[in-house]
Amino acid sequence: MRRVLSDSDFRAGFAEMLPACVGLIPFGLVCGVGAVAAGASIWGALGMSAIIFSGAAQIIAAQLLAVGAPVAVIILTCVVAGLRFLMYSAAIAPYLRPLPPRWQQALAFLLTDQAFAAAIRRFDAGANPHAGGLHFLGAGFALWLCWQITNVVGYFAGNLVPASWSMEFAVPLCFIALIAPHFKSAPQIGAGVLAGVAVVALDGLPMRLNLIAAGVVGIVTGTAIELAKDRWTRR
Amino acid sequence: MDASLKLWLVIFVVGALNYVSRLSFIAFFARRSIPPMLARALRYVPAAMLTALIVPMVLPGPPTIVPDVPTPKVLAALVAGGVAWLTHSTLKTLVAGMVALWLLQALAARIG
Repeated sequence: MRRVLSDSDFRAGFAEMLPACVGLIPFGLVCGVGAVAAGASIWGALGMSAIIFSGAAQIIAAQLLAVGAPVAVIILTCVVAGLRFLMYSAAIAPYLRPLPPRWQQALAFLLTDQAFAAAIRRFDAGANPHAGGLHFLGAGFALWLCWQITNVVGYFAGNLVPASWSMEFAVPLCFIALIAPHFKSAPQIGAGVLAGVAVVALDGLPMRLNLIAAGVVGIVTGTAIELAKDRWTRR
Repeated sequence: MDASLKLWLVIFVVGALNYVSRLSFIAFFARRSIPPMLARALRYVPAAMLTALIVPMVLPGPPTIVPDVPTPKVLAALVAGGVAWLTHSTLKTLVAGMVALWLLQALAARIG
């Protein structure tokens, strides 16, 4: 343990994530406030941040719990939003293959949008599996720690932030930061636009089913445009 | 169902299923590559799912009401989108979006 904590790659990963942690502070605070709105105790709030450890899933769960949606709908919507982890897992797997299973299991738990982006950058820059794994561990640990602290602070003190600051706006901004760089090809833009239109058009659906329906519409649209494009260029 | 039981059920089931997603190709299918059709569809999960989350947070009031005039939040989101597209930086996107929102809200209050 001590050897890991004093390792230079671990420390480099930890330090590299600190700016991203600063960016996640408002998001974590909003998640803490969301847990209050969902009627969670402090342990429930910590359970969400420590075990689910995904801002998008926590926001969805808090919103749906607050409107009294059934457990099955909450789980389904969170899991569809979490399908992006499958993609990250597939992309990072080749780099982690040489590591022992224990390392793979620990790193998988820390696989988030931000940690994934940082780790892929590191491995692409030619880090060996051991050094890259320690760097990933440091980065993931920094994010996990920052996430717990901000969620707890948000739970107790989030409501002290004046409403006029519109702190909740930080959440869509964090998501925008994640997806805007992808909006470069027709299928990606199509997926985003159609999902956005669908979520508004289907707002009448109960239990916020419009969220998952819009996600499916967007995924199908993106895939269909890509297939059509392939067929067109093959001619 | 008891509210706290419901919450813990969500925490453990979503936590477990998210962990399975995260671990999937790292451990279970480590020897296999991802099926091409699945890889294709998964590439659109972030754009689709996150946009579906963003839009209701940016539009004013109930999301069925699409405003005639762009509101501060809609404009600030567009500014943030431009900054994110150009810089790929979460921090810069956050700062640009929040500052744009505060300025536009102040401006809207002045115009009344």
